Amino acid sequence: MSGKFEEKIKKYRTAPFDARFPNTNQTRNCYQNYLDYHRCNKVLSAKKQKTTPCEWYRRVYKSLCPIAWVQKWDDQRQSGTFAGRI
Amino acid sequence: MAHQAHAMLYSVDPSPSPLTGAVAALLMTSGLAISMHFHTTTLMSLGLVLLLLTMYQSSRDIIREGTFQGHHTPPVQKGLRYGMILFITSEVFFFLGFFSAFYHSSLAPTPELGGCSPPTGITTLNPFEVPLLNTAVLLASGVTVTSAHHSIMEGQRKQAIQSLTLTILLGFYFTALQAMEYYEAPFTIADGVYGSTFFVATGFHGLHVIIGSTFFAICLLRQAQYHFTSDHHFGFEAAASYSHSCLMSYDSSFTSLFTDEAS
Repeated sequence: MSGKFEEKIKKYRTAPFDARFPNTNQTRNCYQNYLDYHRCNKVLSAKKQKTTPCEWYRRVYKSLCPIAWVQKWDDQRQSGTFAGRI
Repeated sequence: MAHQAHAMLYSVDPSPSPLTGAVAALLMTSGLAISMHFHTTTLMSLGLVLLLLTMYQSSRDIIREGTFQGHHTPPVQKGLRYGMILFITSEVFFFLGFFSAFYHSSLAPTPELGGCSPPTGITTLNPFEVPLLNTAVLLASGVTVTSAHHSIMEGQRKQAIQSLTLTILLGFYFTALQAMEYYEAPFTIADGVYGSTFFVATGFHGLHVIIGSTFFAICLLRQAQYHFTSDHHFGFEAAASYSHSCLMSYDSSFTSLFTDEAS
């Protein structure tokens, strides 16, 4: 299973179509993957497991999100003012 | 035929009220802007005083024309009814704008809010506490105002005065409760779009309740002075329609603004 996942990551070019976000405004797509990456990290680290499966979310949000948004959210997470639930 | 119908209508005498009302509006709006930049409320207060004077004079003139001079014949009354209906309709649309603002932000909450509604960090009010009591108070005032109306139509002077007084007291009770809620609320108007939409919508609503109470207070004074007859009491009916629409806007606020899972 991890073999197929690693293959998928290796063949990654850009974020694929996600039927959950069918419209032109992809803000939610970016935000959801950002949240999912950090939630995935948090949960797996807490269970002392490898965080490799979280890589997918990181790739997607890196493809989609404006860098300024990511920087702003990272700063907010650091200062404890991030509004999303992670 | 045409000039027969004309005899039932009347032209009002020239009045300064439109001018003073317009000047009051100008002074109040520009005064509001000035108060925010230069920290002085003089202009706005002047406008408010002029507004109150205009309200007093114009309503006194209308009462004189209708009750004392007999100009409010059936076609005239019909025109007044149309006017009130149109005005109330415009008020409904005014409130619809604020509801639309609330739903715009709450149905698709942005990342800035935490992607959730109510937004992160907002402790909402429990709708089943004071808001529910307020709903009950307004509904009760709807009952008392209907009772007052029937008393007027039946020519029962004392009962009409009692029901009207009770209606006004309920209006004051609502205002007092709402003022307390405002003081005790865990969030302010500055707390993001939630705070803004909440306080602007409920604030304008509260202002309308105060206006309704004032209108009924005038009606109480007039009823006490034998202005209303069992057939002709349009001033009272106008106040009742206005307050009923105000009540309905609170009911809608109750189901949307106050609930915890805001859609």
